[in-house]
Amino acid sequence: MTHSNIARIVVLVLLIAAPLVQPNAYWVHVFSLALIGVILAFSQQLLVGMAGIVSLGQGAFYGIGAYTAASLSIAYKLPFLLAILIGGLLAGASSLLLVPIVRLKGSSLAVATLGFAIIVHLVMMNEDWLTGGSIGLMDIPHPTLFGLPVGGETAFYYVCLAVAALVFLTFDRIAHSRFGRALTAMSQDEEAARASGVAISLYKSKCFLIAAIASGIAGGLYAYHSQYLNPNDFSFQKSIDILMMVIIGGIGSLPGAALGAAIVVLVPEVLRSSGEFRLILFGVMVIVLAGTGNRGLAGVITDLVKYAIARWWHKPAPTTAAARVS
Amino acid sequence: MTIDQFVQTMLGGLAIGCIYSLIALGISMIIRATDILHFAQGEMLMVGSMVGLSAYWMRDLPFPIVLLFGIIGGGLISTVVELVVYRTLRMQRVALINIMIATIGVSIVLQNVARLVWGSEPLGYPSLFDSKGIVVAGFAVSPQLLWIVILSALIMGTLILFFRYTRLGIAMQAAAQDPDVARLMGINVDRTTTYTFAVAGMMAGAAGVLLGSLFFASFNMGFITGIKAFVAATLGGLGSVAGAMIGGLIFGLIETFSGMLISTAYKDAVGMVVLILILLLMPNGLLTRAGREV
Repeated sequence: MTHSNIARIVVLVLLIAAPLVQPNAYWVHVFSLALIGVILAFSQQLLVGMAGIVSLGQGAFYGIGAYTAASLSIAYKLPFLLAILIGGLLAGASSLLLVPIVRLKGSSLAVATLGFAIIVHLVMMNEDWLTGGSIGLMDIPHPTLFGLPVGGETAFYYVCLAVAALVFLTFDRIAHSRFGRALTAMSQDEEAARASGVAISLYKSKCFLIAAIASGIAGGLYAYHSQYLNPNDFSFQKSIDILMMVIIGGIGSLPGAALGAAIVVLVPEVLRSSGEFRLILFGVMVIVLAGTGNRGLAGVITDLVKYAIARWWHKPAPTTAAARVS
Repeated sequence: MTIDQFVQTMLGGLAIGCIYSLIALGISMIIRATDILHFAQGEMLMVGSMVGLSAYWMRDLPFPIVLLFGIIGGGLISTVVELVVYRTLRMQRVALINIMIATIGVSIVLQNVARLVWGSEPLGYPSLFDSKGIVVAGFAVSPQLLWIVILSALIMGTLILFFRYTRLGIAMQAAAQDPDVARLMGINVDRTTTYTFAVAGMMAGAAGVLLGSLFFASFNMGFITGIKAFVAATLGGLGSVAGAMIGGLIFGLIETFSGMLISTAYKDAVGMVVLILILLLMPNGLLTRAGREV
């Protein structure tokens, strides 16, 4: 068994144990929110980490998924899994609207996706017949799974965990597939990738499509999680938060994205006791974590773990010998 | 729409456009000098607005002095943030996208510090101008809007003169164009970068006082305005100073006219659609970065 598999199983066990260690319903509610954030961060990681596309529009797909699942569930009493699946697919379909702009590069593409997010937010805000306008959608039914009600926060937490794990495994497969390698090539040198036969625009569009489906599914989970939707949950600020998760966690690594999401969602909750200072502390933390280098927090932690292992198992650590030579 | 309404809307659009231009200018200057997308630029506007208002509260100061206080406030906070945060990050050779996220962190910190200091309620600006309409060339216009356009034009004119005729301005442009060659010419690039942030902050501070006098000042006024100015700068061509001015004006006019003609709810959406169309036709914005000189 490889090191990364051991690490994955350890993390999975910890995540399964989390609501048992902290059974307080409020905290389990927040943990579920963090897992939804993790799915969003995965979707952004596919774009930034693999394809090198900075998207400031993931919040829009998140919102489209959430509103779709909520509306279907309220109006047609669609079952939970079907509603969030359709939410994800519709979010994916709406990403096709971005097809004309994928040929933009860098900050132009980022700003164009931001424009898309702002437009979607305005539609949510103003189309009362569709989204309930600024009042929002209320009375979203409790989720049921195969006819059985998903009762309580803990059960819902495990649903979120299962979905997040599924998205992780899918994206991990994508990263090691031909498609994933093409994306990496594209992010490193677009012209060289094009010369090697990567259809840039097609691949970028596919990447947006997959990321949008994942974000839409996260949105569906959120709709059932909070049972109330407000357009301001999906403003462009959300898109920026999602980007922040990935940068803090570390560009290019899925576990890093998950870590970043956990920080962005959980830290403001943990700091709640510090009252008015909590967002100031959070902001300072964002600045410090952004400064931890290009591999983010995940990179720092990996280095620390490697260093610790080297220290424990091979005394003296091999690094010191190298340091002496230089 | 009567011709009178048209003139009113035009002036309103120009006034808000001038405010966007002032912020977009700062964003563009910073991109040109450091390649940083500065998401905290809107907070410089907010701080400028708040400092100006506080100065007015303490002594019943006339508007030009309030404006001056706003300019100083925006410039100071921008300089401090550059020296404490961005310079440190640049020294550590942190990737640009990380610095971009750090600017969001700066924005969160400044917003919440401002909330602690000035409270979370919107603060009304005193009417600093005569609210009675004046007649110019047969049209009744609001003196407030007129003053905003005139003052913004003066500030931007001063900036152009500064870039073209002073040693420091020319050094800043040289450093932005090619830092390595500028260093060889004996320019302290670190220092010109700090000055760039200072000037950008001053522009935003001025915009803050002008915007405050039009609506009100509040701790969260900056972020959305900053985002719109960022869009305006992209519209004009990121990194081009002239582009930022034109982009801001166009964006302000589109916003005001579509609010009048199409719908107030979707006025921002119209701006975004225009932005996306322009980017599709001209991926680098209206004025590309190649035309670097002012």
